[in-house]
Amino acid sequence: MQGKIKNIIVVISFVAILSIGLLANIIAKDNEISTSERRKLAQFPKITVKKLLDGDVSEDLEKYAVDQFVGRDFFRGIKSYVSKYAFGQLDNNGLFIKHGAIYKIEYPLNKEYVEKVADKINDVYKKYLENMNVYYAIIPDKNYYLEDAHLKIDYKEIQNIIQNRIENIKYIDLLPELTIEDYYKTDTHWKQPNIRKVVSKIEKGMNLKDTSKVEYQEKELGDFYGVYYSQIGMKVKPDTLKYLTNDTIENCITYNYETKETGKVYDLNKYNTSTDKYDIFLSGATPIISIENPKANNNKELLLFRDSFGSSIAPLLIENYEKITLIDIRYISSDLLENYIEFNNQDVLFLYSGLVLNHNIFK
Amino acid sequence: MVFSSITFLFYFLPIVLLIYYIVPNKFKNLVLLIASFGFYFYGEPIYVLLMAFSIISTYIFGRLIDKAEDKKQAKSYLILAIIISIGLLVYFKYTDFIIQNINLWLANKIDLIHVILPIGISFYTFQMVSYLVDVYRGEAKVQKNILKLATYVSLFPQLIAGPIVRYTTIEEQLEKREYTVENFSLGVRRFVLGLGKKVLIANVLGEVVNVFLASSEKSVLFYWIYAIAAMLQIYFDFSGYSDMAIGLGKMFGFEFLENFNYPYIATSITDFWRRWHISLSSWFRDYVYIPLGGNRVSKLKWIRNIMIVWFLTGLWHGAAWNFIMWGVYFGILLILEKAFLSKYIQKLPKVVNIILTNFIVMISFIIFNGNGINQILENIGGLFGVKNIPLVSTESIYYFKSYLIVIILAIIGATPIFKKIATSTKIEKIINLIEPIYLICILIICTSYIIDGSFNPFLYFRF
Repeated sequence: MQGKIKNIIVVISFVAILSIGLLANIIAKDNEISTSERRKLAQFPKITVKKLLDGDVSEDLEKYAVDQFVGRDFFRGIKSYVSKYAFGQLDNNGLFIKHGAIYKIEYPLNKEYVEKVADKINDVYKKYLENMNVYYAIIPDKNYYLEDAHLKIDYKEIQNIIQNRIENIKYIDLLPELTIEDYYKTDTHWKQPNIRKVVSKIEKGMNLKDTSKVEYQEKELGDFYGVYYSQIGMKVKPDTLKYLTNDTIENCITYNYETKETGKVYDLNKYNTSTDKYDIFLSGATPIISIENPKANNNKELLLFRDSFGSSIAPLLIENYEKITLIDIRYISSDLLENYIEFNNQDVLFLYSGLVLNHNIFK
Repeated sequence: MVFSSITFLFYFLPIVLLIYYIVPNKFKNLVLLIASFGFYFYGEPIYVLLMAFSIISTYIFGRLIDKAEDKKQAKSYLILAIIISIGLLVYFKYTDFIIQNINLWLANKIDLIHVILPIGISFYTFQMVSYLVDVYRGEAKVQKNILKLATYVSLFPQLIAGPIVRYTTIEEQLEKREYTVENFSLGVRRFVLGLGKKVLIANVLGEVVNVFLASSEKSVLFYWIYAIAAMLQIYFDFSGYSDMAIGLGKMFGFEFLENFNYPYIATSITDFWRRWHISLSSWFRDYVYIPLGGNRVSKLKWIRNIMIVWFLTGLWHGAAWNFIMWGVYFGILLILEKAFLSKYIQKLPKVVNIILTNFIVMISFIIFNGNGINQILENIGGLFGVKNIPLVSTESIYYFKSYLIVIILAIIGATPIFKKIATSTKIEKIINLIEPIYLICILIICTSYIIDGSFNPFLYFRF
């Protein structure tokens, strides 16, 4: 008797789960983007006879069904918790939580990618920068500051690889200037208020004026859920998004070479409108953007070859310069730079995070 | 379409089940036939025509064999039919492999034809051959209704990755099936457990296998993690698929034969092959080994017969030398075992035999998964620390810790312990209570893994 009831329950619950899944997925409206994953979701594919016969439709439909599954974030959360607590896995899709902060494994070191980056820097140097004051510095990913049992890339080796492939570019060692506290708990990036030590080290390395006495006001925008938060699908306390400002920075004008728009250093609207709130720093990713400092009048210019970490440190370097041009050669081929930038004895700093060095993403 | 996909679980399956149980009995085969062709068309739009052609050819030759005036004529029809069936298999699966090997000896290379392997062709070809031979031998009645024959061949639960269901197994079921809540419930249990084996164990172990393959920091520990994880992955992947197939079969009223019987508790290689991919090894036994004379021949011929069977078994798995090596490796071991080793094996404790057998099987899967002889030798040598590789590395310790529980669960899951507990009459009441709960949990957790993970096809699809 009991066995019979069990069988009925098994059959009903199985059929119910599949049917509810079917109906819910048919009824629910499709989403354009996933705010939690910060990406566009696959849409119902256009079905053409050719695609159907090529067998492409099935793959597209599967992507669509997975992306648009009702309660997708909820299910991703279940997976995270099961893999951590039931299977005792140390990471979920490379992400893990340690002391309330989220990390992503950046391992192993892709030597050939680092070599490619070094060669790229060399190419740019030979093409545009000979006889100029050129420096490079590396920002480690935050795993570097975790205890030794974790998988992390060897930054000394990165430095050796780069050093062996480039000439006449001086290295500024930022590794001792940062700690784990200087990075957001839920994001890859560093916290701007924490990087004044880094600024000082760069100033020293590049023979610039020491700005450690310059005063900034620390402004707070509110909660910040970084890129890792959305990926891991588990609950972690958010960070607070803060930035440093003063009159010099407030008076600066930015110019975006792509959109041809001028603006301010801190694009505070992005806090409310952008999926990545880190975009408040210089409005986010773009090929070339300049910051002009009307207060400086010293004819000094900096060309900053950078990734997203550069957006938050550039405002703190502007005290020394009349103009900083930030160049992201992930979004523009370095061969085209001469069409936009006049190279005439500016200071030059290549500032890249380990995350960019370890992946071949330059144009 | 794979069973562990959202499109199958939440679109295809509920819709097909619904229609299947609404329509009257006389239309149920037709529903299955249409669903199966749809299922195949979804993944292989063009090759559905190839399958249809094979079915028609098998149907016609089945009828011809049945109507033949004498044995000789029947035999000619059978041979012709097998040439067509196996010819298609050879063309689609082995042409490029054959050309590549001929090219090794030629100055002017022949161009490859780059034909894509139709999914499931190795499975359905073998089913059709078994049908034709059984009709010829008088062991199966000829199927006069082409729709029923087509339903048998294309039946979606077993179409693309087996088990190789014999026509004689479901001959009567094609005419009449019984539907009970108990059977459906058993089908659900089997399907969900198979899904769990695939999604929660095989796919997860697949991740660490891939990490190993991509790593340049190999160590002895890492080679062992790889060898054990790969061996468990292939078992959970393939037996999980068979469980799902058998479970689905039950939901639609069919009874397929078992395809696996806890192969990793085998005490010898002979025992292992009675437990691993049973539908394939019994196919080769009945349609190749015994017709060749089996073991009722001279010793030399017997060795020849075994080697032919195992060469073909290896080749069946794929058009590459590593599969052939894998088959031949088992052929040689079986000959040694049957010829004299079995006397010694019997004297050893059971545990020792299980460990030895698993070690031999583990090595076999290194060969099976190997990409060229160098990699195979490297992966076997790595287990014993040749070339002075370190014992451990940071990376291997990390992945060892991260996958330890999954590996332990998989090892326990490869033994009948869970089954013994679940079927124990002493705790039947508790089992009745918790079975629905754990099945629902597994289904939901699998769904969440599929949603989170990337597209992960079955290992046995390429065969």
